[in-house]
Amino acid sequence: MLISPRPELLAGLLTLLLSTALWAQDEPLVLDDDVSFDPDFGFDEPLFDEDFADSDDGGVTWLDNFTVRLSQQISGQINSHGVTLAQGFTLPREAETETNRFGINLRYQNPFAPGWLLQSSAQARFYWNEDYEYRAGGNRIDSEYRINELFVQRSFGQHSVKLGQQTVVWGETVGNSVLDVINTSEFRDLTIIDIEDARLNQMMLVWDYFGEGSSLSSFINLYPEFNPPAVRGSPFFFEPQFNLTDYDRDDQWLFEIGTQWRKSFEGSDIALMAAYLYENQLRYEDPVSGVGDAVGRKNDFVLLGFSANRAIGKLLLAFDLAYSHDVLADSFNFPGTGNLASPLNLQKDRIGTSFGFEYAINNDQNISLGIQAQKTLDENSGLQPGQTLVNEGVSGSWLVRYSNSLRNGDLVLSVTSQGDLDAESLLLFVGADYRFNDNWSLNGQIISITSSSDSPLVYFSEDVRLGATLSYSF
Amino acid sequence: MRTTGSVRFAAALLLAASCTTAFTSYSLAQALTGQEIMQRVEDYQRATTDSAFNRMQLSTCKFGVRDSRITCAERPRVMSLESVGKNYGPELKDTKNITIVLEPAAERGIGMLSYAYDDADRDNETWLYLSALGRVKRIASGNSDDDTEPASVFGSEFTTEDTDTGKLEEYTINLLEETTESDRAVWKVEMIPNEERARKSRYARTISYIDKERYVALRVEMYDQYGKEVKRMLASRVEMVNDVWVARSLTMMNLVTNRLSNMAILEIHTGIDVDDEFLTQRTLTDVAFRETELQQLRAQVE
Repeated sequence: MLISPRPELLAGLLTLLLSTALWAQDEPLVLDDDVSFDPDFGFDEPLFDEDFADSDDGGVTWLDNFTVRLSQQISGQINSHGVTLAQGFTLPREAETETNRFGINLRYQNPFAPGWLLQSSAQARFYWNEDYEYRAGGNRIDSEYRINELFVQRSFGQHSVKLGQQTVVWGETVGNSVLDVINTSEFRDLTIIDIEDARLNQMMLVWDYFGEGSSLSSFINLYPEFNPPAVRGSPFFFEPQFNLTDYDRDDQWLFEIGTQWRKSFEGSDIALMAAYLYENQLRYEDPVSGVGDAVGRKNDFVLLGFSANRAIGKLLLAFDLAYSHDVLADSFNFPGTGNLASPLNLQKDRIGTSFGFEYAINNDQNISLGIQAQKTLDENSGLQPGQTLVNEGVSGSWLVRYSNSLRNGDLVLSVTSQGDLDAESLLLFVGADYRFNDNWSLNGQIISITSSSDSPLVYFSEDVRLGATLSYSF
Repeated sequence: MRTTGSVRFAAALLLAASCTTAFTSYSLAQALTGQEIMQRVEDYQRATTDSAFNRMQLSTCKFGVRDSRITCAERPRVMSLESVGKNYGPELKDTKNITIVLEPAAERGIGMLSYAYDDADRDNETWLYLSALGRVKRIASGNSDDDTEPASVFGSEFTTEDTDTGKLEEYTINLLEETTESDRAVWKVEMIPNEERARKSRYARTISYIDKERYVALRVEMYDQYGKEVKRMLASRVEMVNDVWVARSLTMMNLVTNRLSNMAILEIHTGIDVDDEFLTQRTLTDVAFRETELQQLRAQVE
């Protein structure tokens, strides 16, 4: 069943256009011939004496290496409705608050000696009344802490070596690349969260070599992680038949390794890459005895990739190509879930591509499009009669984003729409970011999901979420 | 992030505000035409951006006018920046520039690398380091010398068109009169873009007030196609820095939005020994390398 766009799409676009119109051009101010401006403006701010002070002067302290962001977020599903999952069975979806949380994000960056850098970032979350974590924790205020990055870097000559918790990002199509698979991810909220919150860092050794016009970047992941299951109580959580646990390493030494060669030409960058990886998503199987926890099965595969971009005036084209050797044929891609029913232990090759463009309409408005598509090769080989693959044929998604920056960038309005290639689900996001000053900012968002019964997103169909985040940075 | 579309930045701003002392002797010569004045400014200005290391404060606010004084009507948004540039090419007319944000804290460490080519057939190139994505991204900012709209400089009221020079053959340049501006003797020079340039420009006409002794634009008025002044730039604190006359305070007023941006050039250092590798993408991603190189640059000027 195909879906049709929802009225929220039109409402979002209308909101955006109306908002834009509010800042439409007025008659210019007529200035006198002899107006003047304080010539000392900008020269007497003590803030900048500190910025440019030498640490030997005592003007810069170790505290200046910290960047802090405090935020309070509240969001919820506001459309009470029911989702018909089968004839005669309707799942009620009541309006409710989903998040009410206070966050602290810390970032520390200290070049403590020539050629050396220590970098770390961490986050803390405090879950207040009505947050799903509050409810899942027995109606009490809960908290959570996480170190995202923690690595030391040494740069010398043409080389740079980084050791510690970090990410490695491949691919040109931002946010929607078939090559961005090295890092594991945690998707547990149906709000648009910062990507550093979703992308999980891993313990890696990274070596970069910077040559004449090209670079080589290699990594070894010393402790590969897997996507964590959805958090109990979160919108993505569903009650599985068996508990989904972490992978049992059983004293095995797991590692991932990969390398990327990148070269820039005038107007274009290209990269070639190869890696030995584990699929980020574990496949969960029923326990052998029929009781206990589900069994997480890992799968190693080889990834070969190519990426390129091309800038043509205001247009930037991006292209990624991935060839994956020996991926599990029936891996279920929906974040945080696994296929528990009769898994097929077939390993197959898969080819994937993501491509798109970004176009700067003018200084303030941008539009971008990204499409990701994947296909398993030689699909029917090894299947028993009557068996089919979960992702049969070409599967993938598309993403379109429009943004408009107003008031010198203090207000950014955006509309993002995302769906799958089979037109079975559509996610619409309308966002507004307003910066009051260098410290305070406010983000508002509306998210609407429409889905057919054939999509895993059917549980969220007709959901409308409204959220706001107030942040203070220093 | 509001840095999208920003290019060439500090070097270009200095281009718009300075000249070498060589002009002084030239001004003593015979009467010049408008074309000659601007051409000479163009010829010498590049010297101020080669191997340069600068520290700047960029402030933007809504403004008001009282008793002929322009003042910020709100607390300005402020950025502090360090910028390094170097000229390349057979006639040193291509520029590589990198600008790094020191403040505000939320944008600290954002770096922008841009290569500007004098040849109109070559698109300028810009890369930005996106810390949230953990990667360098090429920016489709276009080329202000091409058929694209000029880009804003770090979300300010300055655009590349305001800061660029060159392509004088695409303008009709008239010396209107000799007058005074800020108690200085100036030439009042009108520049009208030809048909091709007009398609790329926001302005149908500009009028510059060029200091006759120091060859610095003390005031520039920008007019739209209806003859209305839409922006005005005022320059002040003209000082001799390293044998170069420089306006260290540039204020661009947008008369449509009533917002202004002030560029306070706190430090200007030219003739700096800049490692070519510093003006590459490595500087955007390799923080240890960047900070080491910056320390060496700072050591040269302290």
